[in-house]
Amino acid sequence: MSETQAINTDATQVGGTGKVMIDVVNMDKFFGDFQALKNINMKVGEQEVVVVIGPSGSGKSTLIRCINRLERHDRGSIVVDGVELSDDIKAIQNIRRETGMVFQSFNLFPHLSVLDNITLAPRNVRNIPKAEAEATAMELLERVKIPDQARKFPGQMSGGQQQRVAIARSLAMKPKVILFDEPTSALDPEMIKEVLDTMKDLATEGMTMICVTHEMGFAREVADRVVFMADGEIVEVGTPEHFFTNPQEERTRLFLSQIL
Amino acid sequence: MAERAATYLGDDITAALAVDSTPPSSKLSPGDWAKTNLFSSAANTIVTAIVAVAAGLLAFFALRWIINADFAIIRANLRIFMIGQFPREELWRPWASGYVMILGAGLTAGAMARNSHELALSQELESVKEGWGQLLRRFWPIIAASIFFVSFARTVMPYIGLAAAYVLVVVAREVGWRLPAAIRERALFIGVALFIVAMLVIAGTSRLGGYALGLVAFLWALSELSRVESLPTGFAGTAVRFVVALVVAAIVAIVQNLIPHDGFGWEDWGGLHISLFTTVIGITLGMPFGILLALGRKSNLPVLKTASVIFIEFIRGVPLISLLLFSNLMLPLFLPIDFERPADLTLAIIVVTGFSAAYIAEIVRGGLQAVPKGQTEAAQASGMSAAAVQRFIVLPQALRAVIPAMVGQFIALFKDTSLLSIIGLLEFLRVSDTSNAQQEFVGKGLASVTYLFVAIGYWAFAYTMSKESRRLEAKLGVGHR
Repeated sequence: MSETQAINTDATQVGGTGKVMIDVVNMDKFFGDFQALKNINMKVGEQEVVVVIGPSGSGKSTLIRCINRLERHDRGSIVVDGVELSDDIKAIQNIRRETGMVFQSFNLFPHLSVLDNITLAPRNVRNIPKAEAEATAMELLERVKIPDQARKFPGQMSGGQQQRVAIARSLAMKPKVILFDEPTSALDPEMIKEVLDTMKDLATEGMTMICVTHEMGFAREVADRVVFMADGEIVEVGTPEHFFTNPQEERTRLFLSQIL
Repeated sequence: MAERAATYLGDDITAALAVDSTPPSSKLSPGDWAKTNLFSSAANTIVTAIVAVAAGLLAFFALRWIINADFAIIRANLRIFMIGQFPREELWRPWASGYVMILGAGLTAGAMARNSHELALSQELESVKEGWGQLLRRFWPIIAASIFFVSFARTVMPYIGLAAAYVLVVVAREVGWRLPAAIRERALFIGVALFIVAMLVIAGTSRLGGYALGLVAFLWALSELSRVESLPTGFAGTAVRFVVALVVAAIVAIVQNLIPHDGFGWEDWGGLHISLFTTVIGITLGMPFGILLALGRKSNLPVLKTASVIFIEFIRGVPLISLLLFSNLMLPLFLPIDFERPADLTLAIIVVTGFSAAYIAEIVRGGLQAVPKGQTEAAQASGMSAAAVQRFIVLPQALRAVIPAMVGQFIALFKDTSLLSIIGLLEFLRVSDTSNAQQEFVGKGLASVTYLFVAIGYWAFAYTMSKESRRLEAKLGVGHR
């Protein structure tokens, strides 16, 4: 049996280059009377990969949705790359520009071709000329290994291909951080691998990432830190190895025994 | 030798597979079809028999009525049915205007068909140029109705005129198809500009036409400038764009005003012409206005929101007739005394535009709600501004989703133009009454003849709109969802 140690709930020990990219301090989030996040403190370092796990309803999606203001946090502060999130729309847009997001249900724009899906934001937000934006988009499609799909529409592609386009779309803005919100949960088993491989490539290239996922294999391979959440709180923090071999908290053990 | 043998073997295998993969034929002989569909059970047989007898009786009475009917009233009033009391010596105007409009429609349709053809090819989708047979099938109600109308003409001119119109539309469409890509991309501007020119030809007024042409020039210049990438970005670039576009618009409007217009406005317009004209204007002006109202209603700004809600709910809460009467009888009482009273048709167009805008706004609002939240979130997450999210992500999908409801509204609007008679405009349906009041026809009970004639006119256009909407839906559905 595992030896007992003090449970580490401190998610502020950054890895990566040591430079703090995301800094969440004493953050609370309510939905009406329900407190979805309770006093969250978390830091993510540059080039660090943090995997957030936890049962559904534990607030892990809400946490990353607060980081790019898809949800408004109620107390505490969130600072992304030195910019604090407030009600100031300019600050919000500055943070969103530098923060890519990949959704569980892809959320590609069905009325636009793959190429237009990828080039829309760079052209519209960064005012990049069309030709240049399309050249970048083609490079990104090469990187996610589907350059032949550029002219197609999302509805004509498989789920795995769509999610890879969504990753390419978020990369097109040259973000400093990418937030992954259960990117493989809506995929058929045989397509999960192609998306995870793309994410692994990104991690190897030094992208700062927060991934909400249940893919423990992925966590083991690329995560610098794993954060376990339950009931809106950070319950346990550690390396992937720690979670595989020596989880301390009762809820962590229960959760891991269910998904492993 | 060996290679050839292998090829033969390959062919054999392909052939064998091909035979296996053909689905079993589901074609029935006419006799079997009738048996399975019309006489499959006792109940089915009874229904078939009853409907057949009813249809036979209906056909018999209709035929007897048509054989005995006197169509002289249509022959005598054909011109009034088409264009109302338009001065006889100015008849060249409607014809010329019609040809300009047909030229614009043909060019634009050809160019846009080619554009979507090229787009489909670039996506490696199957696409073939639409043949004349297909076009005939698409527009047969209007083609049949136009031939039916002309068949009542007493001179040969209308026949020649109509034939020329069909030749022109064929030629214009072919030319539009063959235009260079750079011009084809701007086809919509050409089409709208030619539409306004057509209006100028028939009405000849310069001031309003100048504004309208200026507006088209403004939008065109703006879209040209948005392609120029060397301009500075941000506020400075936007300002330069707007100023240049405004200058272009002003030049166009002034040049247009320099051309002498010996027109007479639209006081004398009438017949099918104003029914169609008010519909087209009501749709083209009501659409942008309605979309703005829908966005206003969803806005976070209380003033904008309240104003939109009040406008929409007020217009939707009262009958169109009351609005028309109000504009015609009451509005002049509120205007300053030295204010020149606008023409009846001007007031009617304002009312019809506002009316359709209110209904379109509610339809669009439904569409906006149908766009999944994830779409907005994905666009927001990439840093796009709220306006850009609406413009590029939400609205295109919302409008696509509401095409059927929208076309339903257009058809209703087209039929509602018959209410313009209430304020004294001689629209299509009212000609039926006025011609029956003529000395030579009064008391002869010919209303049924004229009503049938009018009904065919309404039906031809309304049915074509409905067919086109279904076609558009099917087309937009391909490869998008």
